[in-house]
Amino acid sequence: MTKDPNKGYIALLGWSLSAIEAAENFDRRYVVVAPDWAEEYCKKHDIPYVSWNFERLNDRSMEIAETLNEMGVDVAIPLYEETVEWAGAINSLLLDNPRLYGQSLLLRDKALMKRRAQLGGIRVGIFEEAHDKDDVVRFLKRVNQTLLKLDGDPNDPIHLKAFDKAGCLGHRVIRTPDEVDTIPDEEFPVLMESHLDGWEFAVEAWVHDGKIVFLNISEYVTLGYSVFVPASPELEQYRPQITAQIEKLIKTFDIEFGLIHPEYFVTSDGEMYFGEVAYRPPGFKVFELLERVYGFNAYQASMLVFDPKASAEEVKAFFPKEVEDANGYAGCFGVYPRRRVVSRLEIPEEVEDHPYFESHELTPPMEETVTKRTAFGTHWGLIYFKGEDPHQLRDLLKHQEDLDFYV
Amino acid sequence: MTEHPETNSATQPPPDGDKLTGLLVKLDEAIQLLDAARDFAKPGKLGRVLDTARRVMMQPGGCAAMEARAEALETAGLFLGSDWATPQYLVPSLTTHALKSADPNSVVIESLSELRLLAVAMGDYRHPMISAEQAHHYLTQAMALNLWLLFGAPSEAERETQGRLAQLPRLLFQHLAERIGYEHIIDQLIDEIWRILRQRPLQVEPVKQMITQIAICQANPAIDLGASGQGADRLVSSLFGTTQACREDPGIDIYRQRLESMDQSALQYEASGFARAMHDTGLVSPYHAVLMRHLLEHSDHLLAEAIGLSSTGRDCLLCYRELVHALIRSGVYPATPQAIYGLALMLERGILYQPPVAPAMWRQLGLTLSEWSQQRLSMAHGDAVSPRARLLEGVLCMLGLPLGVGQGNNPTCQSARALSMWAYNDPDYLLQMVAWAARDDEIVMHFEGQPISSRESLSGVATELPMDLDAVSLLVVPHLDRIYAEMGRRCIGREGDPHRWVNPEFHGWWSGRGFRINVDVATGQLDGLEDFLRHFYAAYHPYYNGNQPLIHPQPAGIAVTDSAARFIGWHAITLLRVNLDPQDVMRVYFYNPNNDSGQDWGDEVKVSTAGNGERFGEASLPFEQLASRLYIFHFDPLERGELATITQQELDRVIGHVHRSWGADRVPATDLQASQGVDGA
Repeated sequence: MTKDPNKGYIALLGWSLSAIEAAENFDRRYVVVAPDWAEEYCKKHDIPYVSWNFERLNDRSMEIAETLNEMGVDVAIPLYEETVEWAGAINSLLLDNPRLYGQSLLLRDKALMKRRAQLGGIRVGIFEEAHDKDDVVRFLKRVNQTLLKLDGDPNDPIHLKAFDKAGCLGHRVIRTPDEVDTIPDEEFPVLMESHLDGWEFAVEAWVHDGKIVFLNISEYVTLGYSVFVPASPELEQYRPQITAQIEKLIKTFDIEFGLIHPEYFVTSDGEMYFGEVAYRPPGFKVFELLERVYGFNAYQASMLVFDPKASAEEVKAFFPKEVEDANGYAGCFGVYPRRRVVSRLEIPEEVEDHPYFESHELTPPMEETVTKRTAFGTHWGLIYFKGEDPHQLRDLLKHQEDLDFYV
Repeated sequence: MTEHPETNSATQPPPDGDKLTGLLVKLDEAIQLLDAARDFAKPGKLGRVLDTARRVMMQPGGCAAMEARAEALETAGLFLGSDWATPQYLVPSLTTHALKSADPNSVVIESLSELRLLAVAMGDYRHPMISAEQAHHYLTQAMALNLWLLFGAPSEAERETQGRLAQLPRLLFQHLAERIGYEHIIDQLIDEIWRILRQRPLQVEPVKQMITQIAICQANPAIDLGASGQGADRLVSSLFGTTQACREDPGIDIYRQRLESMDQSALQYEASGFARAMHDTGLVSPYHAVLMRHLLEHSDHLLAEAIGLSSTGRDCLLCYRELVHALIRSGVYPATPQAIYGLALMLERGILYQPPVAPAMWRQLGLTLSEWSQQRLSMAHGDAVSPRARLLEGVLCMLGLPLGVGQGNNPTCQSARALSMWAYNDPDYLLQMVAWAARDDEIVMHFEGQPISSRESLSGVATELPMDLDAVSLLVVPHLDRIYAEMGRRCIGREGDPHRWVNPEFHGWWSGRGFRINVDVATGQLDGLEDFLRHFYAAYHPYYNGNQPLIHPQPAGIAVTDSAARFIGWHAITLLRVNLDPQDVMRVYFYNPNNDSGQDWGDEVKVSTAGNGERFGEASLPFEQLASRLYIFHFDPLERGELATITQQELDRVIGHVHRSWGADRVPATDLQASQGVDGA
């Protein structure tokens, strides 16, 4: 697509073909910032590219910011959790706003994030940092004492998460002190949280000029397995409260622009608990689901709201009306093999023949023995569904958990 | 199919027609996305197209729908960056592997490529790279080669690896056959069988299977073959109803009873009928074996008639009467009929007159097979007859048809070549090897004075024990392969190509100790090509070597190229003869251990296996063309004469072939500059 030199020049931090494709088809100039293994590919396909290895920030970190500045780049967009603080550092130079770097650090550390949220008057569960296994046992006991459990009652579980990893990576659920022994030492330090019984959901909110311009609610059918958009009417009824929560979050974290991706629980009495927030595109291909139902490209949406040269009119014209403009419900399910030994991929007939079934990204098994899942693990691929009825879609997604895709 | 009560309560599954319509909407959407994507993003859009296409093709009428979309699919970039993007180079025999794959995407893309070619063949899609005729040709070959898909249900193995997917290739081939017509397939298949049989391979099982397929086809009233299939009669009858007394394929026992009541002239009639069919096709009917055993009790005259011997063979039979009778008794059974053909050709070769051969055959007759050898033979060839009889059949066939040895689907061309060379040139040595391998489970050869035992050598070139081999190869190749690899290991650290030392030690004293190679081993670049060629002409071309015919078979190395003249790999062959062919073109006749020598090496170089003066099993090329694929040859260093004074024109033609094929990216910088200079001048 022809590029408009009057609009912003955007750097994409990290390698994502979907993002590159979106940028290619958008009217803004862009450059991909990625490790050197991407160079050959970019040359071959004529993709604008700057080589950079995203390791820990160090003395040389200013180099990339200055390179981009000299190129005339206006803003950098993080595509992955690992590039969030890089974007913060780079944008504080490009936009001449040193506060952005501090903000990005806050968004990278789950413990700091929770404290900040708490300070901002946002409800969070009980949480604590753990440096070793003893800390975990102590926390498990204390949480369950708080809940007035007697010895012998089944414990409420606690959740362990790495400070700085995306989504379900390193996420464990612990119920008994025995299970603590299964945690490898190298996973410490971790963040511990009490378990909240409730309805977990995520939000993708595009923010421009300090205001929400599009707010999507993603409904989890089962955490780590399945999600669909837009949310069912039962969850959408909380939209006013959810919007209020997000506005509070934006204020607390001082977010002027960009895409935020927070997670919440809503408990049975309608109270919202903040889980965490990420300053990058969500996993689980929620962007693709949004494009299936709303027709807009969510990467382009992010480029738009990050771009300091974007006008309010352009932003307004870009986004559709939430829920009303969706032409159905789209969801996806992450497949984990259920058997210990598998020989091939076979999509169950009932799935393939279902009118809601769209496509899948499963690949034949590379090994016959399935590695035992520690923590939440990684799924083997996604299956996509789309249909008219949110309840049927939800039940369908739930039902996938009982099926074998690898036999 | 288990329906979950919750999921399908709202909607009933739509009828099949609607299902296809619904899928096609999704497919067209997916094709559109692929079409719109930039090249780098296309791989990401492929999965959805392939998966939806798979589901479409599983529906009734789905293949037709895909055929109609063939052009749109290709334009959208479905084949981009894959071998299927250049359909003119596709090889029909590779379809089988792709269609049997456990990976759904391989099956689907192969199927879509066939449907695309169908659209081209039908004239609905004008393709820039392949003509309708070529497409038609390709499809008929692919179908002939995959006839099992048209007429057979999925085997256990297919079901295990492919599951429901196994149905897809069948639906595809039914659609192809309906559009192209069954008659084309059968005729093509018949031509293909004759082409293979003219090379007289030792292993005829695959050919027999194809012939059986045709017989089944002919017998099925539901299949209208039209005027086609005429040429199949000789093939089918050579196996199932060769003579008057077994015309209707009555079964072995009834045929044996009929023989009992035949008089001399009736037996004579049977004998000559079988002999004619056998020498015509190279295939032997199980009934023939019954007759042979019956005739042992009658006259040698009838026996010679039934083997179809000339006066040479008859002499040999009469000279070694006891031995031949013993060979028939121990080696010719209805389950080992090919032994008769091997026996016939062995007698015709007169090799029994070489003093060690007859006693070595007696040793073979009494040979005790090791446990391991018996197991291998039963595993690979079944236990319809004893392993010893199976091996004897193999020995007779190899001695009768030295050029019919094939390497199977294994990287053991060197070992196959050695066996063939010994059977051709040194038959008692071969028999010695068989005895060591089959009886002792060990072969010892010497390399520069040092013994090498196959038992102590760790590994061969082949990582797995080969199974798809004739009986002799089955037992001997594992030993040879390990010894060959060990000889190679002992050359580690020497400068240059190890074949210089390994070939003569491995094959026999007659392999020339002189050695030339035109590739620099370190860089892979061409090296001294012109001198190499002049020397090759001087050593082998009758016009330049004093009209000296080639005496012993010589090992040589070639660079094999595909039909697009792209380099595939290095390969071992044997140079057998250099003669003028019937058209007065100087030709090299050679042995290729590959199972089918009829190959298209690209750039107009097509290896011929019949029609240019080839003997059974020989491959041939005009001298220039063979020279253009040669990279290693041996010569007698004492006979090294002047470099041949070939004309620059002829040399340039050969070098042109090299540079347009495997040598394209091996031209050293200096050569390139020189040739640019010539072009510029």
